[in-house]
Amino acid sequence: MTGKRKRLPGDARSLLALAGIVLLAIVFSPAASDGSRIFLQAGNLTDILRQISIIGIISLGMTLVILTGGIDLSVGSILALSTSLAAMWLTGAGQEPGYGLRIFYALGALNGAAVAALDIQPFIVTLASMIGIRGLAKWLTHNANIDIGFGRDVAAAFAEVFRRKPLVIGSYAALAAVFWALLARTVFGRHVRAIGDNETAARYAGLPIRRVKVIVYALSGLLAGFAGVLYAAENHQGNPNAGVAYELDAIAAVVIGGTRLSGGKGSITGTIVGTLIMGVLTNMLRLNNVDSNVEMMVKAVIIVLAVAVQRQRRTD
Amino acid sequence: MPELLRAESISKRYGGVYALQGAGLSVAEGEIHALLGENGAGKSTLAKIIAGSVRPDSGRIFFRGAPVSIRNPRDAQRLGIGIIYQELDLFPNLTIGENIVIGNRSFQEKGFVDFARIEFFCGPVLDRVGLGRGARELVASLPIGQAQLVALARALSMDARLILMDEPTSALSDDAAARLFDVIGALKRSGVSIVYVSHKMDEIFRICDRATVLRDGRVIATEEVAHTTPEALIRLMVGRELSTTGDRLSSPVNFPAPLLSVSHLTTRKLRDVTFDLHPGEVLGVAGLVGAGRSELGAALFGLDRIRGGEIRVRGAAAHPRSPAAAMRLGIGLLPEDRKLEGLMMDMSVAENTTIAASRGLIRRTREEAAIEPLYARLALRSPSWSAPVSALSGGNQQKALLARWLLVNPDIVFLDDPARGIDVGAKQDIYRIIGELAAAGKGVLLASSELPELLRCSHRILVLNEGRMAAMFDAAEATQEKIMAAASGAVAHDR
Ligand SMILES: Nc1ncnc2c1ncn2[C@@H]1O[C@H](COP(=O)(O)OP(=O)(O)OP(=O)(O)O)[C@@H](O)[C@H]1O
Ligand SMILES: [Mg+2]
Repeated sequence: MTGKRKRLPGDARSLLALAGIVLLAIVFSPAASDGSRIFLQAGNLTDILRQISIIGIISLGMTLVILTGGIDLSVGSILALSTSLAAMWLTGAGQEPGYGLRIFYALGALNGAAVAALDIQPFIVTLASMIGIRGLAKWLTHNANIDIGFGRDVAAAFAEVFRRKPLVIGSYAALAAVFWALLARTVFGRHVRAIGDNETAARYAGLPIRRVKVIVYALSGLLAGFAGVLYAAENHQGNPNAGVAYELDAIAAVVIGGTRLSGGKGSITGTIVGTLIMGVLTNMLRLNNVDSNVEMMVKAVIIVLAVAVQRQRRTD
Repeated sequence: MPELLRAESISKRYGGVYALQGAGLSVAEGEIHALLGENGAGKSTLAKIIAGSVRPDSGRIFFRGAPVSIRNPRDAQRLGIGIIYQELDLFPNLTIGENIVIGNRSFQEKGFVDFARIEFFCGPVLDRVGLGRGARELVASLPIGQAQLVALARALSMDARLILMDEPTSALSDDAAARLFDVIGALKRSGVSIVYVSHKMDEIFRICDRATVLRDGRVIATEEVAHTTPEALIRLMVGRELSTTGDRLSSPVNFPAPLLSVSHLTTRKLRDVTFDLHPGEVLGVAGLVGAGRSELGAALFGLDRIRGGEIRVRGAAAHPRSPAAAMRLGIGLLPEDRKLEGLMMDMSVAENTTIAASRGLIRRTREEAAIEPLYARLALRSPSWSAPVSALSGGNQQKALLARWLLVNPDIVFLDDPARGIDVGAKQDIYRIIGELAAAGKGVLLASSELPELLRCSHRILVLNEGRMAAMFDAAEATQEKIMAAASGAVAHDR
C-alpha cells in the first residue's frame, strides 16, 4: 500500500521547489552598479528563458515518451543532424534534400516503429539511433562545423532572425502550450498516460497502442529537429558534435518536474517547471562565477533534492 | 477456546474518508471468523492493518492477550500472521517457487538461489493446495485462479497461526474452492485461526464459526453463524431488507438471425468450439479453471491467434486481430483480472471509465454527464471521481471497470466474471443490468465460475472442458449437477 501525504498536487510541489531556487538566486545574486540585483534584471531573466528554450523544447517531447513508459536517447544526435542539415542547406555546402523538419519526424517515427512493432526496449532502440544518427551527421559534414557566417546573405539573415530572443522564447512558449493541451486536453494525451500506467490494460481497452507510440517518438524527433534549427541560428553554425548529453538534460528536466520515469504519471507543467529549475540554477551559479566543474557538482545535489521534495512520502 | 487476536477501536482515514472508525475484531484459536460488509465497508483495510501492510491512525491490537505493535508485514509474520490479499501481490516474472520463498521466514535464503531446495520446500505445500503445477513455472503463465492458489501456498508455508483471507475464492472455480475448504478444515483442526472475507453467503455458512459485520467502517454486530441466517446477516450488512432470489430468465424466445456465429473455432487452447449468439440472448459460459472460458473471450476479442474455424458477426466473416479491431466489429470484453488487464491504477476513476469510449478532445462535463447515471446504477462508491482508481475498494474498482464497457456499449459483449468481488446487494444490480443489455438486443456472453449466477442470468449455457465444448444446455433444463458433470468431462454432448 502506498499512502498519500496530506497532499499538494504534484505540480504544486515542483512549483515549491522552483520558488525555493528562485529565492536562493535572489539572495545570492550579485549587485549591479545601481545597487539592484542582477538576477532580477529583465535582461537576465529573459536570458534564462532563452537559454532553457532548446532543452525545454526537447523535454516537451521527452515528457510524452517517458509517460508511455519509454525513453528517447536519440534527441541529442537528432539535434546535431538538424544543425548540420540546416547549415548545409543555408550555405549550399551540400545537397540537403529539402524535406525540412519532416525528416526528423520520420526519424522519430522510426524509433517508435521499432519500439512498437518489433517490441524492442526503447532504451536499446534509441541508444542505437543515438549512435547511428550521430554517425550520419558526422558523415554528411565530414565531421566539420559548417559556419553560417555574419555577412549580408540569406544564411546570415536567417540566423539573425532565428536567434532573436522573442522568437526563441516565443516558440518555446507556443510549443509548450500546444503540448500541454495535447497531454491534458485530448484523449490522445490520456492514452499516452494509460499506456505507461498499464500497457496490458490499455490493450484490453482497445487503445491504439502502436499508433500512440509511433506518434510520441515522432513528435520527440520533430521537436529535437526544430531545436536544432534554433541551435544552428544561435551559434551561427551547423555542428555535428552538438547536443552531446542533451538527452540527459532533457530527462533530468522531465524527472525534476515530477514525471515518473517508469511512465503513467506526470505533466507538461511539471516539465516546464523542471526546466526552469535547471535554468535558474545554472544562471545563479554563473552569475556568482562558480567554477563550471563545481557547477556540475552543485547541480547533482540539487537534482536529487528537487526530486526528494516531490516524493510522496509513505505514511502507511 | 482462548482468544488469539483482538483488535480494538481501529481507525483509519484516507483524506476525508474514514475507511475504519473504531472497528474491532476478536478471533479465537482454531476459529474461522467471517468478516462481512458491503463494498467499501472497510474489510480489506482491517485485514491489511492486522497484517501490517497498512498503519492504522489509532487503535490497539492484542495477540494472545499481549499488546503488540505491528508496524510492517515482517512484524506480522514474526507473530505468525499471514495474509492472502484481495489484489494478489505476486511477482509475475518469478517462478512459483520463488514467489513462495521470497521474504519467507521459514525458508532462509542466502547467497545463491538454490532451485532444487526451493522445489523441495514448495512441493508439499503445492500438493496441499492442489495447484498441479511445478515450482519452476513462471507465475505470469498462470490464470488468476491458479495464481490465487500460489498466494495460498505462500501463506501456508509460513506456518502461520492466523491467516487472513481476503476474498480467496473470488477467482476460484467450485472445485478449487472445495479444495480450499478442505485445506481450511485441516488448518482449523490443527488449531490455526482464519479470518475469512467473502461476499458469498453459502461459503460463510459452510465453513465459518462466527461472523463480524462491518458497515461504513464500524462494527455492526458479531454473530454465531449457527444461530443466524443469510438474510439476517445481509440485513446487518446493508441496513435494510434485500431480496437475493431473482427469477430465472424465461426459457429462450424465438431468436432472429444470430449476431455472432462461431464455428469450429480453434486456438492455442480451444478445440473446435461452435455456437451461435443471438440478439437479446445471454449465453452462459461454464467450465472449470483452465477449461478455456477466458480463452474464448480472448479469441473473440482479437487477443489470441485463431488457428482454425470461423467467426461471423451478423453473417459476415470477421478476423479480429487486435482488441481495437474487435471493438470496431462491435465486440467488447470485460477482462477477468481487473488489476492486470483492466485498470490503470494511477488514473482517476472517471478516466478509467471513459478511456475506451472517448475520442478527440476531452470534454469533462460531457463525460461526467455520461458516467454519472452509470455510477448511480452500479451504486459505485468513490471519494471523488478524480480520485485514483487505486483508492477504491476492490468491489468498487470492479464497478468502475464494468462502467467502462457499459459506456462503450458494444453489440456483443463477453463478460468474464463481471460480479467478481461485488457485494450481495450490488450483485443483484449487475444481474439486472445484464438482463437489461439483453432486453436492449445486445448479445451477452457471460463467463462465470458461479453456477447459480449462470443459471440465474443465462438463456443457454455452454460448458467447456479442456478447451472443447462439453455441452450446451437450455436454461430450463440445466442444473448445477448437469453442468458440473459436463464440465468435469463425465458426460458427452447433451445435444
Ligand atoms: N489507498 C486508499 N486511498 C484512499 N482511500 C482508500 C484507500 N484504500 C481504501 N480506501 C477507502 O477505504 C474504504 C474501505 O475500503 P476497503 O478496501 O477496506 O473496503 P472493503 O470492505 O474491502 O470493500 P470490497 O468488498 O469492495 O473489497 C473505501 O471507501 C475506500 O475507498
Ligand atoms: Mg476488499
